Amino acid sequence: MSGTILLIVSAVLVNNFVLNRFLGICPFLGVSKRLSTALGMSGAVVFVMTLASAVTWPLYHRLLKPLGVEYLQTILFILIIATLVQFVELVLRKYVPVLYRALGIFLPLITTNCAVLGVAVLNIRSHLPFLHSVLFGFGGAVGFGLALVLFAGIREKLERANPPKCFEGTALALVTAGLLSLAFMGFANLVKGA
Amino acid sequence: MPPILAAIVVIGGAGVACALLLAIAARYLHVFEDPRVEAITNLLPGANCGGCGYAGCADYARAIVEKGAPVNLCRPCAAAALLEIARLMGVEAKPAEKMVAIVRCNGDAVRSRRAALYHGVADCVAADFTSGGGKICREGCLGYGNCARVCPVGAIVFTESLLAVVSPERCIGCGLCVKACPRHLIRLVPASHTIHLLCSNRERGLVTRKACSVGCIACQKCIKHVNGQGIHMEGYLAVVDYTVPLPESLLDVCPQHCFVRRGLPAPPPQPAAPSAP
Amino acid sequence: MKVLRAPFQVRGTIHPHYHKGVTAGRPIETLPPPTIVQVPMLQHLGAPSKPIVNKGDKVGVGQLIAEAGGPISASAHSPVSGTVRAITEGVAATGRPTLVIEIENDGLNTPASPLQPKPEWSSQEPSTLIGLVAAAGIVGMGGAGFPTHVKINPPPAKRIDTLIINGAECEPYLTADHRLMIERPEAIWEGIRILRHILRGPHIRLAIEDNKPDAIRAMEKVMASADDDVALVVLPTAYPMGAEKQLIAALLGREVPSGGLPSDVGALVENVATCAAVFEAVVQGHPLTRRVVTVTGSLVRRPANVLAPIGARFSDLIEFCGGLQETGGKLICGGPMMGVAQVDASTPVGKTVSGILALSRQDVAVYETHACIACGRCVRACPMSLLPCTISVAVEAGQFEETERLAVMDCIECGCCAYVCPAHRPMVQFMRQGKAQIQAIRRLKQQQNPPVPRSP
Repeated sequence: MSGTILLIVSAVLVNNFVLNRFLGICPFLGVSKRLSTALGMSGAVVFVMTLASAVTWPLYHRLLKPLGVEYLQTILFILIIATLVQFVELVLRKYVPVLYRALGIFLPLITTNCAVLGVAVLNIRSHLPFLHSVLFGFGGAVGFGLALVLFAGIREKLERANPPKCFEGTALALVTAGLLSLAFMGFANLVKGA
Repeated sequence: MPPILAAIVVIGGAGVACALLLAIAARYLHVFEDPRVEAITNLLPGANCGGCGYAGCADYARAIVEKGAPVNLCRPCAAAALLEIARLMGVEAKPAEKMVAIVRCNGDAVRSRRAALYHGVADCVAADFTSGGGKICREGCLGYGNCARVCPVGAIVFTESLLAVVSPERCIGCGLCVKACPRHLIRLVPASHTIHLLCSNRERGLVTRKACSVGCIACQKCIKHVNGQGIHMEGYLAVVDYTVPLPESLLDVCPQHCFVRRGLPAPPPQPAAPSAP
Repeated sequence: MKVLRAPFQVRGTIHPHYHKGVTAGRPIETLPPPTIVQVPMLQHLGAPSKPIVNKGDKVGVGQLIAEAGGPISASAHSPVSGTVRAITEGVAATGRPTLVIEIENDGLNTPASPLQPKPEWSSQEPSTLIGLVAAAGIVGMGGAGFPTHVKINPPPAKRIDTLIINGAECEPYLTADHRLMIERPEAIWEGIRILRHILRGPHIRLAIEDNKPDAIRAMEKVMASADDDVALVVLPTAYPMGAEKQLIAALLGREVPSGGLPSDVGALVENVATCAAVFEAVVQGHPLTRRVVTVTGSLVRRPANVLAPIGARFSDLIEFCGGLQETGGKLICGGPMMGVAQVDASTPVGKTVSGILALSRQDVAVYETHACIACGRCVRACPMSLLPCTISVAVEAGQFEETERLAVMDCIECGCCAYVCPAHRPMVQFMRQGKAQIQAIRRLKQQQNPPVPRSP
């Protein structure tokens, strides 16, 4: 039990996907302008990453490994993830059109988001059992959401600031992201051996 | 199973399975979107200025197609685009004449006196409620830039001596500046009219003259010059009604130099094409 | 009659230099009525008064010259006898343009008050007395100028259990109410009793700051025989103790809800000068035509507390006080915290003008505004528990809906935030700008008829 909690804490705080592993920077910068879209995007990513972990694990261990075609993992995982994201897109378009329009191009970009593929590949590499894989995926997504929401809150306040012209917009956002990343390094020794 | 076959089966099978899943999902989760919405969005100028009253061009396009909004609400829209939108929707539309904004005041800090020094927030609303920013004329331009800040195309510039001037070439006629001015100085006028009367002060002539050197003193020389065509009096202020174009001679008739020429001049008449030898 | 100390603490106050010593000891002097008076039509909260006289009409002292312009409005009366010279555009003490009735004084002081005084007010119906207060054109003389006849006539659902009399005068430099309490305590006390009768017997709490021991003694003496329902509450000296909502918090421990009124918590606050005006109207039949104004500041040769007719111009009072030592500097109507800077001294004295402050250039600091450093001093100082720093930054960025969410409409414009700000930001102006923009947005929303109703 404690091992599971540690796993999630490690995924959310210690090895945060965005701020420590530097995966998923594209939606992190693209969707974090407003808190409401950031929350919506986080929800979508949690869904995709958890499900991706849950689906890719059995596919690898029960299909690719027995058949000896482990090298197909990259292309197969991309296929699964792309399908999942398309599915999420269709659902959002039908049931939450406002969020669909707000996310715009960044929704299909979850597909090429290295964080999702990254979590699937990391699960395999770390030889995690099934449940732990799913939890790791879930934790990673929560960490992504946490970083995104924090960043969106800061960016909404930055809108009111009056920085020098050369820093306006993305420049200041990137500097802030770097500082946020530095702050998260403070969690480094929270979990021993993580 | 030979490895290559395994690979083909795995990838091929997975591909087919995913495709089937998506095809079934797309069937049940289908959302009908009228293709006209996208077509109209592309025809609109894309400035997202909000002048139509909707939250942007895409929002207005959706309102036209799904809620039957009138097609001629977009002022910056090009005439050809408007006709195409009307055709798509099967309605009649007359392209409106291009309108541009004009700030009806020429009283900068040199010409229009200030009675007190204003040390406060450099905002027109803030200065207006603080005893008019110290400017004697309570109806003139304060020059702190509220209009320029809302202009989506940067068409309003400020002279050094705090006066807002709209550049008619860049103005798209969206009307955001009209709402931003706390003294309601800005008006949308037809772009083809180039002679304007830049004063909004309704005080008696004597009072106006003390406040500003280019203010209207209600002498009515302009009205007599055009025989009442196109200018009328509203109290102690002469107002151009933009029904007929005004002559350039007005620039010299007004003793206070209230009239200016702004706006795009009419294109010169095309020379006749030379006949073929 | 009990004498108490304020039972509750008020959050967020400041302690500026008060500079009251100059005029606190000077008895009220009466300004001889000037040759010209300009009675402003907007000298209260609500709709401007509507003139009922015309150019050339002859008027007497106390004659009704303008009637209330709506349900929340007040009438106006002539302070002198003479001829109406003009009805023209003038400027109100708040800096806004307003209509003024200009009267030329003939020096005869012919009385013409329309009021029927009721010295035996205790046997009268409250509605009669409210009518008398309305006919006298009385408004809140503490500064806000809310028409008193509306205030003392709350809807039956809102029962008033406590009437608070504001003798705090927390604004620096001003001593008008202070001198009034020392010199006319009986008038104030009878006015309080009349109001108690109109409101059908609420508890009475007279609040005075402890920097006015002579005023406390004077009022205590006059109220000594009052019953236990009446109490004199000594307030700790702090700014803005005298603000309506802060008084209610300090005396009763109740918080007026956001966007609400004191009557929502069963309280009603009236200034001491208003009470004296009620006495003069009900018992003596005089409408509100004059008030005490503290003329002070480093530029005034002979600072004084002046009893001036409504409509006298600032220049008349300043001349009476020896004139200004030099030109330039700052002329403020009111005090340095909540007063309004004037363009020149031609502003007429309205019913809410409690002070004229003429400060020399050396005494006026002109600061360069810097960006907010988020130090939080303003948050600690705000008596209304707002976030002035966030509101000011949002106003600068043009995010006015955000300021409404931050409750800028609850700001009482006391100036505590501006006083403590280390970046010298014009905080009160930002607040007012936020309020003005929100009202403009609300007006636009009402006027705008979207062509087709949009889906939410």
